[in-house]
Amino acid sequence: MNGVRDPRMLAFDSVEKRYPDGTVALRSVSMQVPQGEFCVILGPSGAGKSTLLRMVNGLVAPTGGSIVVDGIPVEEKTLPRIRPRIGMIHQQFNLVLRSSVATNILSGALPAISTWRAVTHLFPERYRRRTCELVAAVGLGEEHLRRRVSGLSGGQQQRVGIARAFMLDPAIVLADEPVASLDPKISRDILSLLKRESRDRGTTVLCSLHQMDLAREFADRIVALRGGEVAFDGEPADLDEAATDSIYGEIIAGDLLIQRDRPKIVARA
Amino acid sequence: MADIQTMQQTARPASAWRLDPPYGARTVLVVMLAALLLWYTGKRVEIDRMVALTAEGVLATVGLREHSQVGSGLAKIGSSLFPLQISERTETARIENFDPTDLPWLSYIETVEHRERTLNPTTLAMEESVETREYLVEPVGYLRHVLVKMLETLEIALWGTILAVALSIPLAFYGARNYTRNRLTYVASRSAVSLFRAVPELVSALFLVLAYGFGPIAGILALGIHAAGFLGKFYGEDIENADDKPQEALRAIGGNKVKVLWLAVLPQVLPQYIAYTLYILDRNVRMATVVGLVGAGGIGQELKGRYDIFNYGHVGTILVVIFLTVFVLDQISARLRSRYL
Repeated sequence: MNGVRDPRMLAFDSVEKRYPDGTVALRSVSMQVPQGEFCVILGPSGAGKSTLLRMVNGLVAPTGGSIVVDGIPVEEKTLPRIRPRIGMIHQQFNLVLRSSVATNILSGALPAISTWRAVTHLFPERYRRRTCELVAAVGLGEEHLRRRVSGLSGGQQQRVGIARAFMLDPAIVLADEPVASLDPKISRDILSLLKRESRDRGTTVLCSLHQMDLAREFADRIVALRGGEVAFDGEPADLDEAATDSIYGEIIAGDLLIQRDRPKIVARA
Repeated sequence: MADIQTMQQTARPASAWRLDPPYGARTVLVVMLAALLLWYTGKRVEIDRMVALTAEGVLATVGLREHSQVGSGLAKIGSSLFPLQISERTETARIENFDPTDLPWLSYIETVEHRERTLNPTTLAMEESVETREYLVEPVGYLRHVLVKMLETLEIALWGTILAVALSIPLAFYGARNYTRNRLTYVASRSAVSLFRAVPELVSALFLVLAYGFGPIAGILALGIHAAGFLGKFYGEDIENADDKPQEALRAIGGNKVKVLWLAVLPQVLPQYIAYTLYILDRNVRMATVVGLVGAGGIGQELKGRYDIFNYGHVGTILVVIFLTVFVLDQISARLRSRYL
């Protein structure tokens, strides 16, 4: 299914991010994600996965290079056009705990409704119907609709998060470590749910993970980051031992100089 | 491995460790200086005399002293407040359009004969003239009047609270660092909040009575403005401290500030907001009585009027009604709080 539709749904061109404190999160990352692809960004903590994802909807601004979403460059003034087309799933679920499941999912329709409707909680009929469909689609029941999110388990909360992300039929869904705070069994359930939903709707997914096994299992394509650079880019089948080593290798020793013979990941001076 | 090594390098033998006492000579000195300052201010506000007079009062009560200034003062107040004035008695001739066939609730007419001996200027003889006067007696008339005034006080408190909430919503929005429009709106709203809180209700009521005249308007405005300062500050700080994660989720999909505030912040802070608002309502009921003293309507105004013309029986009724009202409201609000918060 790769490449059959828009091959440049999401394009990063020599993207760079340097934080004011001098930390370099990303250095010259270039990649393209075709429409409908389930692309996993793999890498250890601090590799720049989150930064890369958050640049797509402008939560973080790059200090160099450019990002283009479906032909629209991501800039301050295009954000109002881009953001409603991008759903986001968060590591900590980022739900309003005291609100009901329905209200949380409905709030995914925020950019599409008028402010007075948001303030009075009078969401249009079609969004209310869609909420019901989504609750069923993510494997929750009618009894959950009016329940407070604080009373749900972690896995159930992330299901609500996924439903919220799909509310406006986004072109792209960003999943920032969606299963990092869940146990392995639930993580698999959640990722297969995410994969199924995105495949059914033709949604492009950019999903960051730190677990190699999950990445292998669910990704159409894996892009591995290390030290802010692309260390591997290919299909899960190509992720052999050498490639794994280049991503996680000898990081335990904490000595980057050992990596001297692997030009891909050596830090530029 | 690396971690264990560093730990071993920094570890020292226990004999080289030190455990200092929790405070030193400097702290003791500072505390002593503070105590000295307190003693001085205590002298200035006559704390010593307060203790002496109170002790004397206590001793007199248990019979160890003959006389106490405080005791006799209190006794005088107590005896003048009672019996409480409950009824109202008005000469019918003084009532406009008095209709004896349509008397108010529970009232009756009392006829009193006044005998007067007057000197007839032509005969120079003393003559006795009989004059009958009719009085309308309402057995619980004054109590009813006080209750109506008490209700007015409660209404002033309620509307003062509503005004405060309405004023404090924009103040909180612009006074929250993460939602304000720019530095100017932030500073303006924070200053307004401080200013409102700095002016006590009684003082602003004093001036508002001059502007709006005697009556409840001045009371409502005085209570509303002061409480808006309090609520604006606390609402705003709660907005700033609310969990950012759900807000970020809604910002990420392009929700504007008002939408994010309403759907991601309000649900988080609502229980606190209700608690603050109930506190303000409770406080306003008590303060509405006080602002009445300077003419801002309600039972306070009635109290001041009666006190000034030495109607201490009436004052007693008013005080009892105020006390009972505050007590009952306390019970109700405690019950509401335990059920809903």
